[in-house]
Amino acid sequence: MKNNKEITRRESLKCIVRISGTLAACGVVGGSRPWSALAGPPRGFLVEGVGTSAGYDVKDLVRKVFESAGGMGRFVSRGDVVAVKPNLSWARKPELAATTHPAVLEAVIELCQEAGAKKVRIADNTIHDARRCFAVTGAGRVAEKTGAELVFPRNSLMRDMRIHGNRLDVWPVYSPLKEADCLINLPIAKVHVVSTLTVGMKNWIGGVGGRRHALHQDIHQTIVDLAQYFRPTVTLVDAIRIMVRNGPSGGSPDDVAVKNTLILSDDPVAADARAAELFGVDPGDFGVVRLGAKWGLGSQDFTALDVKKVNL
Amino acid sequence: MKARHLVRARRISQAAFLLLFLFLLVESRLPQDVYQNYSLLFSGEADLRLDYPVTLFFEMDPLISLTSWFSAGALIEGAAWAALILLVTLFLGRFFCGFVCPFGTLHHVAGGIRPSLTGKKRVQASRTNPLQRVKYFVLIVLVVAAVFGLNIAGWMDPISFAFRSIGLAVLPGIGEILKSGFDALARSDIKILNLLSYGGEILVAPVFGYGHTAYKTAWFIGFLFLAILLLNRIKPRFWCRTLCPLGALLGLAGRFRTLKLEKDASRCTHCGRCTAACQGAASPEPGLDWQPSECLLCLNCWETCPEDALHFRFSWQKPRTHPLPDMGRRAVLGGILAGVAIPFLGRLDPRITGTPDSRLIRPPGSLEEAKFLEVCQRCGLCMKVCPTNAVQPCLGEAGMAGFWTPHLNMIQGYCEYTCTLCGSVCPTGAIREITSREKTEGPIRIGSAYLDRGRCLPWSGNGPCIVCQEHCPTSPKAITLHRETVVGADGKETAVHLPYVDLRRCVGCGICENKCPVRGRPAVRVISAGETRSLENRILL
Repeated sequence: MKNNKEITRRESLKCIVRISGTLAACGVVGGSRPWSALAGPPRGFLVEGVGTSAGYDVKDLVRKVFESAGGMGRFVSRGDVVAVKPNLSWARKPELAATTHPAVLEAVIELCQEAGAKKVRIADNTIHDARRCFAVTGAGRVAEKTGAELVFPRNSLMRDMRIHGNRLDVWPVYSPLKEADCLINLPIAKVHVVSTLTVGMKNWIGGVGGRRHALHQDIHQTIVDLAQYFRPTVTLVDAIRIMVRNGPSGGSPDDVAVKNTLILSDDPVAADARAAELFGVDPGDFGVVRLGAKWGLGSQDFTALDVKKVNL
Repeated sequence: MKARHLVRARRISQAAFLLLFLFLLVESRLPQDVYQNYSLLFSGEADLRLDYPVTLFFEMDPLISLTSWFSAGALIEGAAWAALILLVTLFLGRFFCGFVCPFGTLHHVAGGIRPSLTGKKRVQASRTNPLQRVKYFVLIVLVVAAVFGLNIAGWMDPISFAFRSIGLAVLPGIGEILKSGFDALARSDIKILNLLSYGGEILVAPVFGYGHTAYKTAWFIGFLFLAILLLNRIKPRFWCRTLCPLGALLGLAGRFRTLKLEKDASRCTHCGRCTAACQGAASPEPGLDWQPSECLLCLNCWETCPEDALHFRFSWQKPRTHPLPDMGRRAVLGGILAGVAIPFLGRLDPRITGTPDSRLIRPPGSLEEAKFLEVCQRCGLCMKVCPTNAVQPCLGEAGMAGFWTPHLNMIQGYCEYTCTLCGSVCPTGAIREITSREKTEGPIRIGSAYLDRGRCLPWSGNGPCIVCQEHCPTSPKAITLHRETVVGADGKETAVHLPYVDLRRCVGCGICENKCPVRGRPAVRVISAGETRSLENRILL
């Protein structure tokens, strides 16, 4: 019973879509307004914020992006425990664009707190030594400044869980990410050899432990498996600085391009697809996006979404 | 009256120095305060350094300064502390053993808590014994070996011994016990126990280390430590009286000390209490020759004597008896012989004179091998401080002469690209203090990576994998991928990314070996060839 939970949900979702689709059709035919208001699944959204003015504040851009999506209150309720998953994989200074911009992280945590979150946790199972990563990437300072809890990855926090994936069955999962009312994915956009790019969905490799270096043997499918398992409330792609060469660890300022862009979406596939375009990559050529859309995680078709653009 | 106060002062001093030693030992780690202002680090100008002078006790140790001065011809940083200790010893005798030495304090406690020996047995055990000259033999061996270019003082030096034992065996051992308990709690289905486990780990980890730290030969280091502590049950402060080379050195320096024990034979009733209380077995009893070189200045005899027959007084008079500690001619000659023999026997290893062992990867900034063996104390500070547990004590990689010297084991850990902590804490400069820029932009290279194509997943046609390339920290990457077609075991052709190593870019950090999914004997490995510290062991022209 327990093992079929996800499939049941997916099926039930499909069922709901079908029923509501039918209802919508009825609504169109009947032309009655109350029916059409109930029609269809809630449309996803994608907000792209670009810092165009010189010397703009990254934190203000984050706020503006969330405001135009309806405010953080849409995702975080009063008393929620929020888990934020930045990409802090490498002990690299923020300027090298290997890790999530600390200002983005700080602004998101502040927004969560303003929305009434009981507790905000920063959780990432880093690749380099976690203490060094937290120190060098600036996440430690953000935690100190905002009062968010910085969770140190340790063995006792890894739980074997059922992923219900196509390729992954039981895998050790970093439990702070699952034990939260709201999960915010905060990836940085970088190039990566095998998966072409590492953006939002790939960020979930930092949400598991175990033999995660074996995941690369079928990288697209395992990433999609993890993405459907974690299902963040919302994804905010940090493309303020992106890594265009030598990914995913970079190491040189020459590997970094400044895009001053943030992509906020509740559709993980669309967020990755839009980020791919920043690199000049056709989302259709981006395996994770293709597979993610195929498995029903989201849509690579922006017309299915409410797309907004904001500038600062 | 006065003696009692001085004994109390000694106890306070011993406790304070032992606590300071343990505190500095625990602080020999990556700074825990990740919340501190790292803005300087962001600019890449400043390297991460420890907040406390963790090498203080090593600098105070005259044996370390002396042997590295003899072997390398240069004084170590902070040798002034050692000089000060020696200077005071000239007047006070072995006050370092009685008041300061943390290892001595451990022995003092081990021999004093519920003493196994009481009454006459304890008096008998604390009479001056010819075995006590063994420590002079040990000292001669270490000093002569240092003169001939092999500094093995750290094997027996009490500060190095204590640091290595507690840092590499005792703390990780206790940590392992605690963590297995927490892991068991974490596996429980009861939420409160999970939280308890997490909270417990947070409390314990800063002292006992994050994750599972393990050191090669730690079982042996721990066994030696326990055995030497247990010897105190046979003779109190067995180590200090019989084996300690630093005690021997300080004994020699303090043999003409001006602070002398004056005995009033007319008052003595030969009750034996002074001998039973004597920590150094220095014959405090009137009627016997007091041994200034054996006296640890514990002041117990002065305090204990019920007849007030014993006093410590400053006196400039020449001692009437025993100007020299009784070393024994054979011990001296044997010590010199062994001291000469050990460095040359050490060099008989083909790995020292000929081709170095491929797995002898010294930490970044290490001196060239001969120089390294002249100064390395094998104290384990670099191993304790390494955040990834990569720095390990050598077993056979560096031959007999390099036993317990540090080397990098890339299966256990890897060398963090920008980390330079090991060099910053090395008490003798065997690992130079370097900047992260020297590591990342050159010239320092630790070794070189190479691919074992038979094991490598893509090369052997067993499937795609890019983990080594992904983790390579250099820019541009030293491991690059090229898409090619390979034939798998089933005879089918598949297109995979094949990794190639560019030796010009590889710094030898070993993260590729550490993260390779082929465990145990990874498909990409780092060898010492290509290390910049050696002129002989380079690969490229």
